[in-house]
Amino acid sequence: MKKAVQFFQSMTFGLILLGLIVLCSVIGSVIVQNGEPMTYVRYYPDFYQIIFALQLDHIFTSWYFILLAGLLCLNLVFCSVIRIRRISRQKPAVYEAAFSAVPEGNADGAQLEKIREKLEAMHCRKEERNGISVYSKNDFGWYGSFLTHLGLLLTIVLFGIAMYLPKVSDQICYPGNSLILDDGTQIKVDSFRIEDETGRLDYTSRINIILPDGRESGLKEVSVNHPVSMGRYKIYQQTYGTVGKVRAERNGAADELYLESKDFLSADGKNGIWFDELYPGFITDEAGRSTLIESTSGHYENPVYVFTLMLDGSADMMMAFPGDVIEVNDLTFTFLDPVEYPGLRIKRTPAMVNPLLLGAVLIMTLGLYLSMYTQPVIVAVSDSGYAVRGPKPEGIQYEINQVLNADQKEKGV
Amino acid sequence: MLNFIFFAGLVLYFVSMFLQFAGMVFRRTAWTKIAWFMFLAGFALETVYLLARGIAAHRLPLSNQFEFASAFSWAIGALLIFCYYRLHVEWIQSVGIAATFLILSYAALQPMEITELMPALRSSWFGFHIGSAAISYAAFMLAGGIGVRYIIVQKKNSADSSLEQMDYFIYRLIALGILMLTITILSGAIWAEEAWSSFWTWDPKEVWALITWIIYAVYLHLRLNRKRRGAFLAWYAILSVPVVLFTFIGVNTIMPGLHSYGMIEAVSHFM
Repeated sequence: MKKAVQFFQSMTFGLILLGLIVLCSVIGSVIVQNGEPMTYVRYYPDFYQIIFALQLDHIFTSWYFILLAGLLCLNLVFCSVIRIRRISRQKPAVYEAAFSAVPEGNADGAQLEKIREKLEAMHCRKEERNGISVYSKNDFGWYGSFLTHLGLLLTIVLFGIAMYLPKVSDQICYPGNSLILDDGTQIKVDSFRIEDETGRLDYTSRINIILPDGRESGLKEVSVNHPVSMGRYKIYQQTYGTVGKVRAERNGAADELYLESKDFLSADGKNGIWFDELYPGFITDEAGRSTLIESTSGHYENPVYVFTLMLDGSADMMMAFPGDVIEVNDLTFTFLDPVEYPGLRIKRTPAMVNPLLLGAVLIMTLGLYLSMYTQPVIVAVSDSGYAVRGPKPEGIQYEINQVLNADQKEKGV
Repeated sequence: MLNFIFFAGLVLYFVSMFLQFAGMVFRRTAWTKIAWFMFLAGFALETVYLLARGIAAHRLPLSNQFEFASAFSWAIGALLIFCYYRLHVEWIQSVGIAATFLILSYAALQPMEITELMPALRSSWFGFHIGSAAISYAAFMLAGGIGVRYIIVQKKNSADSSLEQMDYFIYRLIALGILMLTITILSGAIWAEEAWSSFWTWDPKEVWALITWIIYAVYLHLRLNRKRRGAFLAWYAILSVPVVLFTFIGVNTIMPGLHSYGMIEAVSHFM
């Protein structure tokens, strides 16, 4: 049992887990993830059953990948606890032991003096006992590795929470309209534009968020890379589309309507127009024949409305351009310029997750920095030589070697 | 004019690499010194080129394969010069010049037009995320190059005094690389949450950045175990370079995803 626990907390186990995670990641990057079942049948006719059986179509949410991540977290917990205990034990002991260190480095008196000068120039603290000077600095460096592992552990856990807990929905909303969310929060889309005033692609919506308690965000611009946060909601500019628009007038009253697919606009349920499709433009060949463009890549250069006119029992397919007027008995329809609208992503995140995650990320980065660039320095210098101590002595040993090499060059050795 | 500066720098790198190699083979110190100064001249030209391109584009020149490869090559050059002058290691030029030239040659094969930055890339994270990736890849590349030199020197003389220094330099460069790659991944995750609403999407680029990170994290752990040093870790550093190059080139070429900004499909997928 003790051996099993030791294995679970060992570096070897951690490395095995990392190796397995790499293996899963390679597979997950080669096989299409989260595709439709038929995709796998079509692309992997000989292997699709294996893919489904081993959950390779969604490997990053498979039970064994989650298990690997969980075990890695467990390993990191053990690593962090063991590490902090070891540091608290070793740190004072290593420092104390430096006062009785046997000199290891060969250096004459002049060289030892240069080493002292170098250590003082590096702003090392100096303590003397019994003729041995111990120079030390970067005490925080002892905790670098611990903070890295702790930060990584927190990052993995909080990433998991931040990825799987938020509720995300994608919704479209026409300018002037509002979205009402489950809890009563209202998102009103004031306007949307694809290009800014200079003609540069921009994709920006102006929205106002009204929380159930009546608090308002005021008009805010949402664009790619610039979401708007209010309460627990974060609103993203996700996509866009184009919708037709028509003004309907009857007996002096008028209303402007967005034309969605296959709408029937009528006053009596019999006579009116069946909206069929809005096309972005048309091309005319040399013979004068026109063909409608079906591409919806974004720009509606010469929009064409296609609809069926229902009048007195007859049905005629017709086309209209913005500005055209169609009269159906006492109803007058005026086709307007199409309107671009945004697709918004609405994300509801539990409070504090993102700030905590940011904290974890900072701890990890700080830990790495401390591990790599503020390695503890403990050097004992006496009249008979010097000794380098500490968990990572290579860096300071390199600096001392530089001093010794320079001295030897000076002497012409 | 801009292209002339770029190709002049590339030619200087090539001649420098050739002279450096010839100087080593024929043991002519003067040739390697000339090679070094030619390399410095090439580096100065590439610096001017990147600055001028940035000014012309009104942004950091890091937005596509050509610009990233140029920055990657520039970062190798900068690290090389730092190691040469600050850490006094002259032997590093033998591997660094070749690495700088090879990556810049790859850049030369890419489309070079200056294009407008697409909305998805207009973010304050842009320079931070991509710049740290360039430094990280450069450090890994240079570490691999030193690994090659380690193996060659060790075959000639296993007691060579520079072996320990090379082993230490591989470690330090990988330490720098993993720190920068961590910054790349974490800043990318924060950026992704701003742009795509999710910190992590398991996009191929993200997955391979993670794979690269893990591979080098394993290196650092293996090195902690003092039994694994020397040739083993030098080979490890060498064999990890293809993973870095695959993350940079391979993923963009054969695994389209959210990071494939050079491709029209990716734009329509995003918007």
